[in-house]
Amino acid sequence: MPDWKLSARAPLDGHERNIGTVAVAEVTDLALVSAAVPRGGDEAFAAALAGGFGATRPVTGDSTLGNRHAARVLGMQPDQVFILFAPPDPDRPAGTVAAALASAAYVTDQSDSWVILRMTGAGVRTALERICPLDLDDRVFPLHRVARTAMEHLSVIVLRDGADSFLLMSPRSSARSFRHAVELSLEHVSE
Amino acid sequence: MSGPFRLDGGAIERGRTLAFRFDGRRLTGRPGDTLASALLANGVRLVARSFKYHRPRGVFSAGSEEPNALVELRSGAYREPNTRATVAELFDGLEATSQNYLGSLRHDLLAVNDLLAPFLSAGFYYKTFMWPRSFWERVYEPAIRASAGLGRLSGEADPDSYDKGFLHCDLLIVGAGPAGLAAALEAGRSGARVILADEDFLMGGRLNAESHEVNGRPGAAWAADAVRELASVHSVRLMPRTTVIGAYDHGVYGALERRTDHLAAARGKPRQILWRLYTRRAILCAGASERPIAFGGNDRPGIMLAGAVRAYANRFAVGTGRRVGVFTNNDDGWRTAGDLSAKGVPIAAVIDVRDGEPAAAVADARIRMNSRVVTTWGRHGLRGITLATGERIALDCLAVAGGWNPNVHLTCHHGGRPVWRDAIASFVPGDRLPGGMSVAGAADGCLTTAGALADGHRAAVAALGELGLAAAAGEPPVASDEATGAASFWHVRESRGRAWLDLQNDVTVKDVELAHREGFRSVELLKRYTTLGMATDQGRTANVLALAIMAGLTGRTIQETGTTAFRPPYTPVPIAAFAGRSRGKDFRPTRLTPSHDWAEGQGAVFVDAGMWLRAQWFPRSGETHWRQSVDREVTDTRGSVGICDVTTLGKIDIQGRDAAEFLNRIYANGFAKLAVGKVRYGLMLREDGIAYDDGTTARLAEHHFVMTTTTANAVLVFRNMEFARQCLWPGLDVHLISVTEQWAQYAVAGPNSRRLLEKIVDPEHDISNEAFPFMACAEISVCGGTPARLFRISFSGELAYELAVAARYGEALMEVLLAAGEEFDAVAYGTEALGVMRIEKGHAAGNELNGQTTARMLGMQRMVSKRKDCIGNVLSERPEMNRDDGMELMGFKPLGSGDELTAGAHLLALDAPADTVNDEGWISSVAYSPTLETSIGLGFVRQGHARIGETLRAWDALQGSDVRVEIVSPHFHDPDGELLRA
Repeated sequence: MPDWKLSARAPLDGHERNIGTVAVAEVTDLALVSAAVPRGGDEAFAAALAGGFGATRPVTGDSTLGNRHAARVLGMQPDQVFILFAPPDPDRPAGTVAAALASAAYVTDQSDSWVILRMTGAGVRTALERICPLDLDDRVFPLHRVARTAMEHLSVIVLRDGADSFLLMSPRSSARSFRHAVELSLEHVSE
Repeated sequence: MSGPFRLDGGAIERGRTLAFRFDGRRLTGRPGDTLASALLANGVRLVARSFKYHRPRGVFSAGSEEPNALVELRSGAYREPNTRATVAELFDGLEATSQNYLGSLRHDLLAVNDLLAPFLSAGFYYKTFMWPRSFWERVYEPAIRASAGLGRLSGEADPDSYDKGFLHCDLLIVGAGPAGLAAALEAGRSGARVILADEDFLMGGRLNAESHEVNGRPGAAWAADAVRELASVHSVRLMPRTTVIGAYDHGVYGALERRTDHLAAARGKPRQILWRLYTRRAILCAGASERPIAFGGNDRPGIMLAGAVRAYANRFAVGTGRRVGVFTNNDDGWRTAGDLSAKGVPIAAVIDVRDGEPAAAVADARIRMNSRVVTTWGRHGLRGITLATGERIALDCLAVAGGWNPNVHLTCHHGGRPVWRDAIASFVPGDRLPGGMSVAGAADGCLTTAGALADGHRAAVAALGELGLAAAAGEPPVASDEATGAASFWHVRESRGRAWLDLQNDVTVKDVELAHREGFRSVELLKRYTTLGMATDQGRTANVLALAIMAGLTGRTIQETGTTAFRPPYTPVPIAAFAGRSRGKDFRPTRLTPSHDWAEGQGAVFVDAGMWLRAQWFPRSGETHWRQSVDREVTDTRGSVGICDVTTLGKIDIQGRDAAEFLNRIYANGFAKLAVGKVRYGLMLREDGIAYDDGTTARLAEHHFVMTTTTANAVLVFRNMEFARQCLWPGLDVHLISVTEQWAQYAVAGPNSRRLLEKIVDPEHDISNEAFPFMACAEISVCGGTPARLFRISFSGELAYELAVAARYGEALMEVLLAAGEEFDAVAYGTEALGVMRIEKGHAAGNELNGQTTARMLGMQRMVSKRKDCIGNVLSERPEMNRDDGMELMGFKPLGSGDELTAGAHLLALDAPADTVNDEGWISSVAYSPTLETSIGLGFVRQGHARIGETLRAWDALQGSDVRVEIVSPHFHDPDGELLRA
């Protein structure tokens, strides 16, 4: 038996901060796995998603909630969803998804590819106006909507998970730059 | 007390006093004042010197069109030159200084230029500084530059912060005058998402400056009520202090919002925000700008636009003189006299160029119909005027009303040209508007208050209809239609003195006449020859006047004469606002590998690789030169084992039933038959057959591959593969996703690498040479169950592996590898040692895959499989790319001991002159090889393999190097590959 154990480190070490009316918190307890739909396998995929996670397949730009592992399924592109869920084994989230979907999808672990920040509070959209090109108005970007965009040269996935709450995912390697961009925006608009 | 010229009424706050300084003099104003209105209230008339002749100048307008009153605001690093006093909102503690003089504002030594004016006509520089030619750069230009320009930059970094942002709306309304407010009320009541932007800090436009009534109430009060109502509507965003600067494609507008310019200190908040406005429809309600009349001496302080005189009286409660005269070609002049009389300002005279009856009675004023002002007097400020009849009238302010020019600028930003409308003697927007834009109110030539209100309302109803929104069915506000009778009168021909057109650039009627005589008759040439319409005001008070005069000289109509093109920005925008927050380390993001903090703790020296920071080497105590660290890292790795962070390599997860076939088409070499559990080196070609990236791809399962790319090309390769997947071969079942960020990956290289890995790889995984040979790969676990991927590949030429774990474990793995490797004296090595070892091994990298080289040049022609098709295959067969005397990748060694090679050196025959004709190739990569104890290099030379042993010159003029080199095999180290298979 080897003498060494590896300890995990989150991209921002579980960072949390309140600025003005908005709380910024790194989300570290969710896994993110992509599932690509085999060509011609849409029906099988929808069935597997319903069976494995109790979720309907979202269209691109939308997300649905499943009834297993608190899974939220994000429609990312016509043949791909991301599944955001509480993993039973944090080291093997792709295994969990692969077991649930069997051969109906090609799965790839993305949990360590993204830093996830949740921004919550009145004023969150005012801050995001400074870096987010997307229209986050209620009528255009309602609850559970998801989209890819770019903020300060960084790729970002935006998921609205509350009236004043957004999950923002951005590549892990630039997590500190991303945090800075988000927090600077909040500092710029806070009273 | 806020000045001897203060009147009653107005939109200023009388309960508070603001102290400010102008040229060091302490003065006071009121909240609601601009710097210009506060100066006028204090009787300060001389505020600036003109650009060219250093003529005394005063406030001319009351808005962003101001050509004269340019000042420097604030001090030290905060100093901002060329700020228009007419739009600078007064705050307590404001420091302003006049600019563009030598000595003092009152006694400007450079005013000598004015005496030299006869010699300084249009085109003066072009005509005068012709010879001697050598004087231009050393004498003339420095002298001209020293006296040119207006304000001074601080020369320090801008201490303010700036930001950018994105806003979205159904309807953008540009301008909050009567038309804009009427449009916003209608749109706001309908529930549309509206942005109402106005460059002023007080919304209302001319309603604040005139004495008109709306819905039976004073216009300013109605405007305030309208703004209050709009502020309460959730879907309406009011943006005062915001100038819409440009109309861009697809309904996108640019806007500059001044957030803290009106505050004494920004308190850490961005001073200005450059917004990108995404709109579905836009209504331009930008109003109109008044124009003067050209007559002799029409530039003295005290000569102002009549509309500005009314604005100062009605809005700012400032009398612009003790005895005010009016010179007009339209009914606005009479309204000026009426408004001022009502405020108790004595009117000395009204001079109307038109014949007929006076439009109104003005108490105690001399009324002169069909009359003209021919000249003026007063050195530092107006003291009187002389009429064409010779009559002299003493006065200290002359309000000039020459008619109104609709602010059509934004309508022209997509190439549209305005058209002339005789009825108002002005240009109005043409037919070619930017998509989604309509125009209302004075900007559309509708010059009465009642007309503007109705027009704004109409435009909003129309826009809402186009948006599919139901209008609120409200009635437009009502006002009386004031008289707007006007004459086309531009220039008092009897004037013998200089009659100014462009006050900012000191362009006179005579300059236009000179341009005409010398053939510069097109408006574009007129502008460039005379500088008319350039600089901060872009000729907003000058252009039409000059066009009219040019039209008169050429006998063409003004429409035929045309206008110059209006381009963004509408008003000047600080460069800092375009930069926004992208300064210093905020210029771009930084990418860090999972073990970055660990490397930093080791004192690693980092290098930028794109956005990545990569450790170049890890200095140890006692090492004083980078070469010592790098040599040690190479020697220790080749001697025992070294570990290098290779996380930055691009990694792409490829899955699907057709994944193998897909790779077969992407790579030049075959991948279809790669066995599961094996890795293969692959080379990618561009469509034109040039090699562009290389890497390894591992087959983890029948339908599952993972590719690595170079760090530099990670995004490009992914993008190209997505293009191939979606557009070239959409029928294939293949799916791509980047896993670059997912995996922390470390090269473990050296003869003891296997022994080191055996200490941390979980025992159920056999990594012996037999079970896990060269180019094997497997999904394994390490350190008691942590999932990992192991690849037996070597960039160094040693027995070597790459080990990948989830990024969260990267830092821990680096520490564990070094701890477990302690018994082998394991070292961390950086990108320099990595580079040295790959050059020793003869592996091509970015310097060799430079966009000019082919597989054949790289010695990989046999890899380009002819049994299958792949991207670049066909064009790689072009004859020029397959010449027998083509370039070949070779190794090079200096002949002289101690000689060093330089990358970029050209290869020449020993006795050949150094020119392109004799160029035989180049050195692409160099290193000092601690293994061979000499400088070595890789490079390309014609027919290299046939010339091994030959001596050439490596000549590098850039780095001043010229050494003799021997052509050798590119594989300096272990050419037979025995080590990596051990």
